[in-house]
Amino acid sequence: MLIILALLFFMLPVYWLMTTAFKFGRDAFAIPPKWLLFDFTFKNFQDIWENSQTPRYLLNSIIVSAGATLLSLLLGVPAGYAIARSKSAIINASAYFFLLLLMIPPIAMLIPFYLVMRNLHLLGGYAALIILDAIFDAAFVAWMMRSYFQDAPREMEEAALVDGASPLRAFLSIALPHSLPGVAASALYCIIFSWNDFLFALMLTSPRTKTIPLGIMASFSSVEINWGEMAAMSLIAITPALIIALFLNRYFVQGLTMGSARG
Amino acid sequence: MRSRFKRSIFFVEKHYLLLLAPLLVFVAAIALYPLLFSFYISFFKYRLTDPNQARTFLGLANYINAFHDKTVVTAIRNTFVFVAGTVSIELVLGLGLALLFSGKSRGMRVMRSFLIIPMALPSLVVGLVWKSLYNVDFGVIPYYLKQLGLDMGRGPLGEIKLAMPAVILIDIWQWTPLVMIIFLAGLKSLPREPYEAARVDGASRWQSFWRITLPLLKPTILIVLLLRTMQGFKVFDIIYAATGGGPGTATTVLNYHIYTVGMVFFKMGYAAALANILLIIVAVLAVLYIIVLQRQQI
Repeated sequence: MLIILALLFFMLPVYWLMTTAFKFGRDAFAIPPKWLLFDFTFKNFQDIWENSQTPRYLLNSIIVSAGATLLSLLLGVPAGYAIARSKSAIINASAYFFLLLLMIPPIAMLIPFYLVMRNLHLLGGYAALIILDAIFDAAFVAWMMRSYFQDAPREMEEAALVDGASPLRAFLSIALPHSLPGVAASALYCIIFSWNDFLFALMLTSPRTKTIPLGIMASFSSVEINWGEMAAMSLIAITPALIIALFLNRYFVQGLTMGSARG
Repeated sequence: MRSRFKRSIFFVEKHYLLLLAPLLVFVAAIALYPLLFSFYISFFKYRLTDPNQARTFLGLANYINAFHDKTVVTAIRNTFVFVAGTVSIELVLGLGLALLFSGKSRGMRVMRSFLIIPMALPSLVVGLVWKSLYNVDFGVIPYYLKQLGLDMGRGPLGEIKLAMPAVILIDIWQWTPLVMIIFLAGLKSLPREPYEAARVDGASRWQSFWRITLPLLKPTILIVLLLRTMQGFKVFDIIYAATGGGPGTATTVLNYHIYTVGMVFFKMGYAAALANILLIIVAVLAVLYIIVLQRQQI
């Protein structure tokens, strides 16, 4: 009984969002509410697709997520490896430095970063947003990959080192290929967080580089609030993150418990 | 794994430093520099709307003014109400859910993964969905409450007294599942022996919950408290989407107010000072959180 109540509480808003996306306006706001019997339509999706901005928002979200993810992996994976394998106290301690960095309030970073980017004339482009996303993502990747490499067997790497390979070689040709599941999980996590980010995109993008969450807001602030279109666009916005999160499960939750929830 | 040799704390391996260096340089350039700049600028009056872009040195005035600024004081009070409300309810509800959904059956696993959905959604979308559920004209919630004889006036987000509880409920909806999952991990790691001993002694389930489960879960409870408090101080998207800080300043939390001061009114020096205050609060919580986390595992 309690289980059903709990499931209803957590699932009904999601159900409402999903159905509203397929409702005509008259059914979306019918009083009393129509939960099950309504005229099913793809009109909202058609409308947002024909609104020339939506494909643009999607493309921007893809560019930013891909850019931030690639940059984070490039910087974070080697760093995680170095921290996991090094015997140096300083290098090991840097892991905690990255963990602290993850927990910084985004606004505290955003305000000075905005000024710096303004002076460099980088506001409104993709670069500023990608870089700021990547700071948080890369710190997370370094931390994740550190624990991944710590748990990975090191016999093969040690054998290579004994044979005279450098640690760089051991990383590139042995450790890295064997750690692809960990790298993939980190990548998906980065994608979710860039995809869902709103605050950074709000301040750093121009109309040309707006991402999906800003698109949703835009459909909102126009003269007439179109909840159906809002729901349809939200549905598109949540789908990738939803699929990935259900896939990742454990890693996804680990990311959230690292304190980096930017919500 | 401790090394057999006693090494200097300044010892670093060249190769590993090389692998770490790109990220360190990136962080230093992109994060540390702005944070230092923010510290510096917080001692100045610096408005982007000023045509001359003048920076006037004020000393500590920005920090001192903050505590006399009525909106800031309100925002800090709202932040504490928000954090206290969300964290306490999420803690109790999350533990309850964890006990409810701790079964090992396949059905339980499926239901648990359904409960992950709220936290995977962008908080902005969550805020908007609830805003429409709360809408006084066509929203589902006021409609059913009216059926029950409760009239909400201007709706949950329109009434000054109701707005903060309504926003707290949104946060509870999105983040209680996270608390549940942390508790599930905590419950899983509990030893079985005390329960068996208690059963032999004829203790009721209620007694063994209060006398065994709760005390053993203390570290997990501490982790949830610190983590959710820290995250509570950072709430932004939900407020932006659902209320914009209103009505009046009823739901203006510190984080949202900093955004308004800096990014709407462009008072950068003042915003930086406020952001630094928030940064210090969160940093203290973060350090505590990391210490507890470290003691818990490894």
